[in-house]
Amino acid sequence: MSYTVEPIEGYGIKRREQPLVKKNRYEFTKVGIVGCGILGQEISRMVSSHGIEVTFVEITEEKIHQALNSISTDLDGMIEKWGMTFSEKRAIMSRIKGTMNYEDLAGADIVIESVKSRSRESSVDLRKRIFREVEKYISPDTIIATNSTTLVITEMSSELEYPERCVSLHFLSPADKIPIVEIARGLHTSDMTYEKVCQFARLFEKKVVAVVESPGIISTRLIAPLINEACEILMEGVGKLEDIDDTMKMGFGFPLGPFEVADKIGLDTIVRWLDNLYKEFGDLKYKASPLLKKMVRANHLGRETQKGFYRYNEDGKKLTDSK
Amino acid sequence: MIVLVLNAGSSSIKYQLYDIATGEVLAKGLVDKIGMGDSSLTNKRVDGDEVKLEGEIIDHQAGIEYVLGVLISQKHGSIKALEEIDAVGHRVVHGGESFHSSAMINDKIIKKIEECVSLAPLHNPPNLKGIYAITELLPDTPQVAVFDTAFHQTMPKQAYMYAIPYSLYKKYGLRRYGFHGTSHHYVSRKACEMLGLDYQKQKIITCHLGNGASITAIKHGKSVDTSMGLTPVEGMIMGTRSGDLDLGVLTYIIDKEELNVKEANTLINKHSGILGISGVSSDMREVERAAEDGNNRAQLALEMYDYRIIKYIGSYAAAMSGVDIIVFTGGIGENAERVRESVCKRFGYLGLEFDQEKNRGLRSKEAVISTSDSKVKVMVVPTNEELVIAEETVKVLEAAKLRKN
Repeated sequence: MSYTVEPIEGYGIKRREQPLVKKNRYEFTKVGIVGCGILGQEISRMVSSHGIEVTFVEITEEKIHQALNSISTDLDGMIEKWGMTFSEKRAIMSRIKGTMNYEDLAGADIVIESVKSRSRESSVDLRKRIFREVEKYISPDTIIATNSTTLVITEMSSELEYPERCVSLHFLSPADKIPIVEIARGLHTSDMTYEKVCQFARLFEKKVVAVVESPGIISTRLIAPLINEACEILMEGVGKLEDIDDTMKMGFGFPLGPFEVADKIGLDTIVRWLDNLYKEFGDLKYKASPLLKKMVRANHLGRETQKGFYRYNEDGKKLTDSK
Repeated sequence: MIVLVLNAGSSSIKYQLYDIATGEVLAKGLVDKIGMGDSSLTNKRVDGDEVKLEGEIIDHQAGIEYVLGVLISQKHGSIKALEEIDAVGHRVVHGGESFHSSAMINDKIIKKIEECVSLAPLHNPPNLKGIYAITELLPDTPQVAVFDTAFHQTMPKQAYMYAIPYSLYKKYGLRRYGFHGTSHHYVSRKACEMLGLDYQKQKIITCHLGNGASITAIKHGKSVDTSMGLTPVEGMIMGTRSGDLDLGVLTYIIDKEELNVKEANTLINKHSGILGISGVSSDMREVERAAEDGNNRAQLALEMYDYRIIKYIGSYAAAMSGVDIIVFTGGIGENAERVRESVCKRFGYLGLEFDQEKNRGLRSKEAVISTSDSKVKVMVVPTNEELVIAEETVKVLEAAKLRKN
């Protein structure tokens, strides 16, 4: 009788000319995320649920803590809704790490930028800076993807050493639930990068919508003017807030009305999208409604500040009778 | 004749190497955590030599390569060359309506198994990976597929149809298929063998009570009804599965808790059963301990668990107009004397006389646990699915040889 532990190498039977990874199949074992706000958290949760390690970068310890807490709370919500077990949650949390150092992104197969910024100018500069910073620590074939839609990837990647690795990978929120992603290639994006990122998205059973780089691509360009127009209707006194939402929900099968969507996305984000679209296209239909601007100035940004078109509790749940 | 039996799961492969002539298990083992960082292969040889190989095992193909590698290795091997393996038997969970018995694997058979993937999306794909791997690594070795569902293909239509629009049966093949077929088949035959009775003349109810649980009515050697259905969630209360449930309850929960399909599925498969009722554990032993310590919900879970078994045995006795033998198997069936006693005590009206003495302390051993006068025999027969797969493999090979000659 004997019991031994040995390394497994040397017990294979076939010497392979190629590694065991199949041709044209890319492996994703580590994903980097820069900016772990709501969308970054959703992506982290989704990626980790598929057994892949996640490292996210945030700017302060407090934000790291906040993001981890919030992911944990969301998972608790799923357990409460019977969608998950405690041991699954433990496994998911164990694969997510937060850091303030870009160095920790080393070894990632793809880095997804999902930061939030205030104005267009700062947005582009900020992302350029992030991209350059990320590039320092990752290998040349690691993909850098941005989740922004109104800013074009070509511009953001212009100062990189390997701009062909950049691509626009747009998840809609909640990223783990919405079964569609828009993927846009920039001027420099290589075929391999594009193919690899499509494969990445399909890992999560997403339908890939291939789009040509254009401000707002499909989703933002359609939803932003819709919300804008809803604000106009409300301002003109044509209908009441809930009735406008109900009309779109019941009449057209929207799961959320335009004001509910606006609160979810954040009114500041919508104004920024509209500003970007207006700047790019010069069409008045993209000019942000005064109502939106007024609410942003009052810091009524939606769920995030617990007050937007509706009122919300700390967990982002809409309060009944919440105007 | 040497047969390798493979049971490939989503991230693991169980295997046994049989010498059919002597009935000896030359080696058995487990490849665990395939595709994860800390994968390993544990091999136990008949002489007690045991080795754990640690390192990266990237996929099923690599796992099987290492299995073959260790089986022929000088240090821990059981055979000298791969050519000594005469056949490979695979466990395949779902054979749909295509397979009534085990089948010699060829391209046509593989295609049919692939067609059954939609019926068992979690199980058939890894089973297929095992087949693909052997096809590539041992291209000249015959392979046999042994299906969990095949034994139940003898059920009459009245037993396997669901009372939903017939068009849905036609469109998706929605019907009762049943599982644990190799186990029900093995223990029922073994029981007759032990009692010296003709298998073709008995009415048998087999209770496979493990992590998953199902009960089968076997009349004259054929499965005529079984408690699991299209999926393994129907029938018995299990560790974390609800078993039978009013469909209205599920639609009510879906509506009230705003669940999607995946969440509803997790609810009935992972949060329900013994765990859901007791709130203690999905493990029968822990729930029994909690009940002994006075936990009311644990006690309730046990009572519900037993009651469901009692109802099924009663209904299958009715379906077959009687029962001659009741067999207990599976982790709980083989070990939980409390369950066996609590269930069997209820069948005095069928002429069942339970022998408490024989039942007491009986664990994982073949035994009769009814009195010698009992009209209904009650038995414990440890299941051995790997052995059945090995035997089936030999049977299919020999039949093929006969056809050739």
